Amino acid sequence: MDFALDDEQSLLVSTVRRWSERGLRTWAADADRGGTAPGAMWSAAAELGLLLDAVPAADGGLLDGDAGAYSHQARALRGIELGRGCAALAALCESNVEPALAVARWGSSAARETLYRAIAADGAPPAIAVVAHDFHERLAIEDGGAAVTLRGRLGPLPGLALASHVLVVATGAAPVLALIPVASPGARVVPCDPAPSAWRAAAWGALELDGAAIPAELVLARGAAARAAATEVLSWMRVGLAARAVGVAAIALDHAAAYGRDRVQFGQPIGRFESIAHMLDENQTAVAAARLLVLQAAWEIDRGAASAADSASRARDLAARVVARATIDAVQIFGGYGFVNDFPVEKLMRDARPFEVLAGNEALSRVLAAVEG
Amino acid sequence: MDLFHGEPMFGAVRQMTHALAEQEIRPIAALHDRDESMPWDLMKKASSFGLSQTAMLDTRRITGDADDRGDKGGERKPGRAARVAVVGAEELAWGCAGIGLALAGSGLAAAPVARIGSEEHKQIFLRALKGVDEAGHIKVAAMALSEPQTGSDISSLATGARRDGDHWVLNGHKQWITNGRSASIYVVWAQTDASLGRGGVRGFLVERGTPGLVPGRKETKLGIRASETAQVHFEDCRVHKDLMLGADRVSEGLGDTKKMLDATRPAVGAQAVGIARAAFEYLLERVRGGSLRGKPLAGHQHIAFALAEMEMEIQASRLLVHRAAWMADHAMDNVAFASMGKAHAARTAQAVTTRALALLGDEALEPGHPVEKWYRDAKIYDIFEGTGQIQRRIIAKTLTGLNAV
Repeated sequence: MDFALDDEQSLLVSTVRRWSERGLRTWAADADRGGTAPGAMWSAAAELGLLLDAVPAADGGLLDGDAGAYSHQARALRGIELGRGCAALAALCESNVEPALAVARWGSSAARETLYRAIAADGAPPAIAVVAHDFHERLAIEDGGAAVTLRGRLGPLPGLALASHVLVVATGAAPVLALIPVASPGARVVPCDPAPSAWRAAAWGALELDGAAIPAELVLARGAAARAAATEVLSWMRVGLAARAVGVAAIALDHAAAYGRDRVQFGQPIGRFESIAHMLDENQTAVAAARLLVLQAAWEIDRGAASAADSASRARDLAARVVARATIDAVQIFGGYGFVNDFPVEKLMRDARPFEVLAGNEALSRVLAAVEG
Repeated sequence: MDLFHGEPMFGAVRQMTHALAEQEIRPIAALHDRDESMPWDLMKKASSFGLSQTAMLDTRRITGDADDRGDKGGERKPGRAARVAVVGAEELAWGCAGIGLALAGSGLAAAPVARIGSEEHKQIFLRALKGVDEAGHIKVAAMALSEPQTGSDISSLATGARRDGDHWVLNGHKQWITNGRSASIYVVWAQTDASLGRGGVRGFLVERGTPGLVPGRKETKLGIRASETAQVHFEDCRVHKDLMLGADRVSEGLGDTKKMLDATRPAVGAQAVGIARAAFEYLLERVRGGSLRGKPLAGHQHIAFALAEMEMEIQASRLLVHRAAWMADHAMDNVAFASMGKAHAARTAQAVTTRALALLGDEALEPGHPVEKWYRDAKIYDIFEGTGQIQRRIIAKTLTGLNAV
């Protein structure tokens, strides 16, 4: 067992942290107010390789090998740092990972061609890809053997308003993993206007499918294979979400600890009151635990461990609760200043919410699985 | 102990305020939250049927309570004002806490006027709130106590009042002031004599337009966005000596403000109960209508027990708040119960809204979702009118006699 980062991982962490602090964090407040990501973010994200790191080099991307070569540990380390910058902007920067990997793993040449060409194209902002998981089984799916026809609505989801493609993951009665170009007949993205109060700059939208027929070459998997593929995709997604949640929680605590040192009430810095020190201390333990669980889940995914899906689910679950508590407590420590947008913590409290509900309530799923045997 | 039964007035107040919340407040709540705007039209309408900005001064007339100082002689009958306030506050906050605060925001300023103001002060206050302001809005009042460096620690107020002939000259900055930009009259707390410490803090009535009174920036907030919060600045603001509250009696200085906060605390706790109840009822309706894997949602312990937990906490919070109000109406020392009610209700509102969001899942990501708004609204109840930490300090001190640090 080795908890130390290797040289490459350390370099990754320091590079992304620098960008997160000097880029994402400086853009975060304006992006939140205006509801859009700055153009400068996209060019910098592309330069850092965030947008195409899951696209195989053979297809014009940066991944040296196939989907199995992708390092989810590196992605988790990176995600933590991105979360420290801005949850909304981080979500956009990481949106391509799951669709790109899924297509690399299970996609036809046509799927690779359409997706990778779209997300590699210049654009301001560039097109991105998004995963839409039909957790609540709201879609009506007709599997005609060749094409799959979809009806229903998914979302709101971050990134959809900028998406050229959506990877639909359905695990209900008719399991399917399908890549849908949003320009397909019968498909329509409805941007959220106004934006939700969380991740306001994340280009939220809903996907409306009214008999959208997905040709066979864009159906990545069906039936039992789709169910297995969905489990993997969701594990990747959950580790990504959990890592960014840990980052948001960590930065909330950093802000709160700094404020606790500076803010004087009753003749002493408030951080020296035992109740505040205890609140910070408990949260720091929780963030440390969540970080380790996220990294463990990523490590298991990278090794193809059978327990990876379970660990990813638990990591997301824990990290979501940790970020909710840490951001609420950070606002508490800031007091009245925490409630107004002059300071960053009220945004962090809003931004904590999607981590708990995107991609479904797997705590409930696990409980049901346990009692149903 | 009979807290509320046998008093038809409380039922009537609940019925009236619930109808207002359901029919008038709920339909406009999302709009005012999104736009961060005051519900001026509703404030005017509410005022016309008794829920006025000066209700605090009228309450005793409305409720038939004896004068606060008990100077009518004879055995004092229990009052009803505190219980009326908690019943109404819960219902209004059930509709929208921000709008509820906008409707009642002037009460914060009216409370010290009612408590320590002279009859003349009351008349000045009421006169200042008559009619409409230059924007055509109903007039409102503000209580200016908190300062940039003085959040929880109100004993270190930096705003000073210097005597100059027949006037006091105020200088300083106030922060997080409800109605701070729009108020037609302010109750401003300032230090008149630093050598007296807490005893030197006094309240002044300052009307809008008084030279040196400068309404400052409006804050953009996480929640209760329909209620205006702003900074207020005082720059050599001259106030006649007769406008100092409590000048005709021995003032308790800062103690006056603390008693005032004790008096309003049960109603603040009741607002938190209203938010919690709103989120709980929304979730309950979803659960009743839903199913999962062929079984009603309500048949899953994972969900049903969460509802049970919420109901326990809401009922416990309400009982604490009601007991604090009942004690106030019976002229009993309710300091500990007022703090327990407020602190418990604040924690409940946060816990219920947070859990409800998690159980509702991605539905609550829809823009303008009410539970997400209640989640944002709930947080302030652990901060304003004394943070959760301050409440615990107060409660602990009643137990041990010591200030815990």
